[in-house]
Amino acid sequence: MVLRIRLARFGNKHNPFYNIVVAQARSARGAKPLEVIGTYNPIPKRPTNLYNENANARPYKEVALDRSRAQYWLGVGAQPSDPVWKLLGMGGLVVPKPTTFHKA
Amino acid sequence: MRNRASNTLSKGKIRQSWSKYNLYNMSRFRSPATMNRTFFQQKWSAKAVSRAYHGEQVREGQWKRMFSRRIKSVIPMNTADLAADDGSLVSAGRGSGLSKEEKPKYPTRQTPYTNMTFAPLERRLDVAIFRAMFASSARQARQFVIHGAVTVNGQKMRHPSYLLNPGDLFQVEPDRVMFATGAPKNKFERRESRLAQKPAEEAEEANEAEQAEVEEPEVKSPKETLKALMAQAKSVMSNDKDTLPAKRKQELRGFQKAVRRVLSRSGSESSNILTQSLEVQFSHLTELLKAKRETKAPKQDNKPAKLQSEDDSLAFDADEPAASDKLSAAFEQATLGNDINASELSDEEFETLKRALTQMRDNPIDHTKPYATPWQPRDYMSAFAFIPRYLEVNQNICAAVYLRHPVARPGSAEVPTPFGESIATPAYGWYLRRRW
Amino acid sequence: MPPRVQTGRVSNTLLPYLTTTSSSTTSSLPSSSSQCLRQFSATTASQTKLRRQMFEWLSTAGAGLKHHVPGETNYLTRLKQGGHDDSNRPFPNNPNFISESILSEGLREEIYKRVVTQKQSLRAVSVELGIDMKRIAAVVRLVELEKRQRSQGKPLALPYARAIHEMVPVTPLADKGERQQYHESINDLPAHPLTGTQIFYPVPESRSFNRVEAGRVFSGAPALTHEEAAEIHHPYDLAQKVIEDPKSIGWVGKGEKARQILQPADVRIPHPHMIGLERDRIAHPNERHTVQHRHAERLARQESLEQEARQRAQARRDASQTTVSPTDSRFDYRIQDTKFTKETTGANGRAPWAVGRRYGVPHNDRTRGTVKIPTRVDA
Repeated sequence: MVLRIRLARFGNKHNPFYNIVVAQARSARGAKPLEVIGTYNPIPKRPTNLYNENANARPYKEVALDRSRAQYWLGVGAQPSDPVWKLLGMGGLVVPKPTTFHKA
Repeated sequence: MRNRASNTLSKGKIRQSWSKYNLYNMSRFRSPATMNRTFFQQKWSAKAVSRAYHGEQVREGQWKRMFSRRIKSVIPMNTADLAADDGSLVSAGRGSGLSKEEKPKYPTRQTPYTNMTFAPLERRLDVAIFRAMFASSARQARQFVIHGAVTVNGQKMRHPSYLLNPGDLFQVEPDRVMFATGAPKNKFERRESRLAQKPAEEAEEANEAEQAEVEEPEVKSPKETLKALMAQAKSVMSNDKDTLPAKRKQELRGFQKAVRRVLSRSGSESSNILTQSLEVQFSHLTELLKAKRETKAPKQDNKPAKLQSEDDSLAFDADEPAASDKLSAAFEQATLGNDINASELSDEEFETLKRALTQMRDNPIDHTKPYATPWQPRDYMSAFAFIPRYLEVNQNICAAVYLRHPVARPGSAEVPTPFGESIATPAYGWYLRRRW
Repeated sequence: MPPRVQTGRVSNTLLPYLTTTSSSTTSSLPSSSSQCLRQFSATTASQTKLRRQMFEWLSTAGAGLKHHVPGETNYLTRLKQGGHDDSNRPFPNNPNFISESILSEGLREEIYKRVVTQKQSLRAVSVELGIDMKRIAAVVRLVELEKRQRSQGKPLALPYARAIHEMVPVTPLADKGERQQYHESINDLPAHPLTGTQIFYPVPESRSFNRVEAGRVFSGAPALTHEEAAEIHHPYDLAQKVIEDPKSIGWVGKGEKARQILQPADVRIPHPHMIGLERDRIAHPNERHTVQHRHAERLARQESLEQEARQRAQARRDASQTTVSPTDSRFDYRIQDTKFTKETTGANGRAPWAVGRRYGVPHNDRTRGTVKIPTRVDA
């Protein structure tokens, strides 16, 4: 059985929110995972315009991650899904994949 | 939500609103009778009366969940007292019967705790907007929130029941605030705005011309600015012929004349100066006036000033507002006298002219606005005008900071409530007992 | 109506703004004869008795409330009592609510100048001007926002602001050389809920029972030993100790019930250093220079300690968060370090405070009484 690090969708309609979970690959998305190692909120937040340094800042997305647990599960062979790979890549835990598509 | 907040005269309830009906209701309000009524009845009517004012837009169940029997209070401390005494003087010798002399006494006033019963509601965003005087009623504040005109900490907040946390900055669109607090349009102004909206070509052209005036003040000389102001004054006169009070008409006419005089005097010197912005133009204009004033002999200036001060006192004795008279007198002087020019304006007249100029700039006539222009406060607003200390408001940008929760202190409670202790205490008692 | 007293300040602001409120000065008098209030309605019969009474009242007694007199409050209370003491009470039935003054435009600018331009600490500015520290921080924030909005050319509500400052009592900025009028009390002591109880506590007469010990009794902590008590000559010594090391405050109770021992007022007021100043004044009445010098030193010391604490907290926050801005994305990603241990997720990993949405726990966003709207907005 393959262990995967993947996203489990929570939240409501039009208001997604993800847990980053470690689960058996064949288990259901909403089933109870082996472990929750983080969260990911894909709705971008706009930095408030209250302070000067924020005036031209980009909107941001929030990720929470337990690095040590992620490291451990990667070490024992858990395979991140593509979106999680992207997040872990930004966290410096895996080598980011090159973008797969090129405009002709 | 159905609006039950109408200010009916027959019920005579006090609401969070600035309407004249509410003012009248407040003026004739009498506390509910307590004679021959059971304690329950007293509490019931006190609760009913105070809930009609405090958060009538909040369902009773919701409010009951918010209610807290714990009331925040503070005691202002005097550091000199704290330094002089470590507290042991108060407790020393107690019970021994030895000390007969007076203990140090601290001035004590009762803290009106029960006036703070509805303090949790003051945290609500809609109530806070009303308290900051950004809306003319809590219902209107609520509408502003729902319509997306309010931001909290820079982010749009669409929940009127959002409970502000200490340090939250909320801001309402200035246009909405001006609409809420400004006098409404009369029928002539409404007609004006309808015409402005008409897609007819003439109107558009006129609009364009107006916009050009508004948008390109940079190229204009102070002289032209003054001319434009005069034209504005004229248009105010012609539009509102029937509605303007005679006094104001006089003033406007006087203003026009004064401007004309200033123009004729200063024209030769200022026309060659092209300033960058409206601001600079105004400052230049005022400086010009000032300079002229100073160069001309101050001896001549003394007399009219004296006369005017006498006028002042006379006017005051007669219990009449003096300043407007003074102003028109100044304008008359400026216009009638052959050898008197702008340079002989007294300090106050000069100030007035300057202020009128800034006023014209900040508060222009604009028929596209939903309120009467130039903006003026709505009737009976001053009777409701206060800003509680737990808010720090910047009116220029219509933003306020919720500093802290309202507190009671000896002698005063920060929650604005039209009811005295005789209603607040039974109302607090009503909510102390859990009936749900 | 008695004639209004015109102070210097009032007459200054009384100058009319030509195009707006000038009418207010004229019509603030109850001139019932000249006013034709019913011009909008031709029929008298359609009005109810109450309406008629209301308009009658508005044209007679209430006429003065229609417009304001710049620089004066104009509340209903004026009609009821007619006394000048009541001029700042908006509600005639509630003597306990006072319409308190707001900061004038000049005072606001002065605060901004001192804090931002002259880099004075909030604490020092607060003591000098007699304004609460929170208010000073808020004023700085608001003035900064105003400046930015002005520079961006956003619409402002200037005539509205001017009108409000005419209607509401205002604390003016003192002229140069004059002493600034205090805006509010700056050493407010919040009443602690523990002090609400009445406690009978016998104390040996040989021993002085001061504020420090009273606080311990209220929070149920054991009395100080003689050595400990001897160290504290005055409760202010304790305040100094707490300023130096905020963690020196002891705890009572265990686990969830643990709470800090209630400290004396000297520790809990916003400006404890002012007690030090007063004590120095008592101890050295003739050495004004030394007293001031020591006061300045104390202020600087407290300020630097607070600054350090703030920096440490900021560094901790920054260390736990990394911001990644990928070049091929429109968004930044803020990656917050979390730790999933027994403490953070509960014994079974499902504690309500654990990070992430929980499994097997009912999602109670439809239940009555739960908050479904945001409880806070980050600045």
